[in-house]
Amino acid sequence: MPILAIDTATMVSSVAVADAGKLLAELTVQTRLTHSETLLPHVQQVLEMANTKKQDLEAVAVSMGPGSFTGLRIGLATAKAIAYGLNIPIIGVPTMEALAWHYPVPGVAVVPFIDAQKNNVYTNIYTWEKGEPKAQGDIQVMTIDDAVLFCSQQDMPVMAVGDIAAKKLKARENLPVNLYIGPQHLVMPRAANVAMAGLKRLEKEMVDSVMDLEPVYIRRSAAEEMLAKKQAEAAKAKES
Amino acid sequence: MKENMITLAIESSCDETSAAILRGGREVVSLVISTQIPIHQKFGGVVPEIASRKHIVNIMPVIEETLQKAKLELKDIDQIAVTYGPGLVGALLVGVSAAKALAFTLDVPLIGVNHLEGHIFANFLSHPDLKPPFMALVVSGGHTSLVHVKDYNSFKLMGQTRDDAAGEAFDKVARVMGLPYPGGPQIDKLAKEGNPLAIDFPQAMKNEENFEFSFSGLKSAVLNYLNSMQQKHIEINKADVAASFQHSVIEVLIAKAMQAVQESHCDTLVLAGGVAANSSLESRLREAADKAGIRFCFPNKLLCTDNAAMIGCRGYYKALAGFKSDYYLNAVPGLGLEDL
Repeated sequence: MPILAIDTATMVSSVAVADAGKLLAELTVQTRLTHSETLLPHVQQVLEMANTKKQDLEAVAVSMGPGSFTGLRIGLATAKAIAYGLNIPIIGVPTMEALAWHYPVPGVAVVPFIDAQKNNVYTNIYTWEKGEPKAQGDIQVMTIDDAVLFCSQQDMPVMAVGDIAAKKLKARENLPVNLYIGPQHLVMPRAANVAMAGLKRLEKEMVDSVMDLEPVYIRRSAAEEMLAKKQAEAAKAKES
Repeated sequence: MKENMITLAIESSCDETSAAILRGGREVVSLVISTQIPIHQKFGGVVPEIASRKHIVNIMPVIEETLQKAKLELKDIDQIAVTYGPGLVGALLVGVSAAKALAFTLDVPLIGVNHLEGHIFANFLSHPDLKPPFMALVVSGGHTSLVHVKDYNSFKLMGQTRDDAAGEAFDKVARVMGLPYPGGPQIDKLAKEGNPLAIDFPQAMKNEENFEFSFSGLKSAVLNYLNSMQQKHIEINKADVAASFQHSVIEVLIAKAMQAVQESHCDTLVLAGGVAANSSLESRLREAADKAGIRFCFPNKLLCTDNAAMIGCRGYYKALAGFKSDYYLNAVPGLGLEDL
């Protein structure tokens, strides 16, 4: 039975319907129009394009982040309400796991570059083993410079993926020789990949609950960062 | 449209996640409010990003709980009403996105509701016999307005604040006086022990022939007073400051509201919005209304705060008039009250 997939983690808004490993329809836009306005009409259109009745959906897969806080919540609120309304499972797919589906090739490292603002990226390293992408560590936030250095330290070819991979890396000089950057449309977040990763998770019954699923933010809110900083300073002042 | 429509309403404009079920326009079958006040307290005010993070976790449990309390199922829902503004954009988007998706999934109409109109309509829930026309004084953290409600779907905005809302002034004054967030109820409590005539704070625009308000000057006057007392090392009487500040706000609100009632020949005045929970405002308005021989209404305490029941009520009457939103509905953080 088909599943619906949604990715609004970045400036790209993407919706797909896939069934048994086959993509039936996908709508991916990058127009700077607000996801909040267009996401649901896109869901409706993609279901029509895929000739799929919403009642026939088996699950909803959604890109969990990290990424734009607001974008993630628009996608998740939409996915949760659809899953709840149809009484079907929701599948939270790490945004980077879906991105790793761009290069399902053993022997290469897939490194996501997701915009974390102010020249920072959310990143990690994925490799393909036995037909599945495996995260090699935890998600990190680092400067683009550090992320490039990190890529150069890998002893295999590195494929950069993510919303800002092409935009921010292509313009740079002296890129490591093992770092490859495809054109933007081939490396940006796509709901088709969320669907594929979601189908794998569904097979293993790795489903989530609409009642408590929350985005993967990695970062705290600015207000919490500030409070923690103030408290740390106060503690330091007390010590001295 | 059948009369006993079941409306599911969703509200997430600020720091409460709320859902409600209404039968028809006036019967609240169930109402669930999940408040975040304790979470925001340590920041001294609502942190938008934290509020949004709480909404995305709370939204489905709140909807589920309200259905359970009503002993209803999803298939019983005839329409969905949701707040689309004004409010915090990230917070609004959670409710709007969920409501759109649920309406689509269940194949029921979606009705976007103005939160401020919702506050006015809270009065219909507390007073079953209340009918338009009437004058509404809307006093909340973000708005201070006088609205002539001519019919369920016909409003005239008489006037509103030029700068700060009354509720905003309450919160800021409370903050400077070191009172915990939210400041409004704290000032109300403290004012009960003070002398409202102790300090002569300004009552801006009170005697001008319009229905506009201004509270930023009053706020500054209170802050200046506190500063100058501190510089002179004179200990202040906090209760007197609270009472005198509150007195100035209330005097202006009453004068303008009664003027509006008179000009539009209304026989009813209703109070709406978060500040409607202020006991002194309510009792002084009642006195003024009694004196003028008109009816005075305000919602019960629970319905004064942000809640989905009032959104359901407003949504019901919009639907009754044939209004329906499409799936492009977006959050409008700066949505105001307008003529309708």
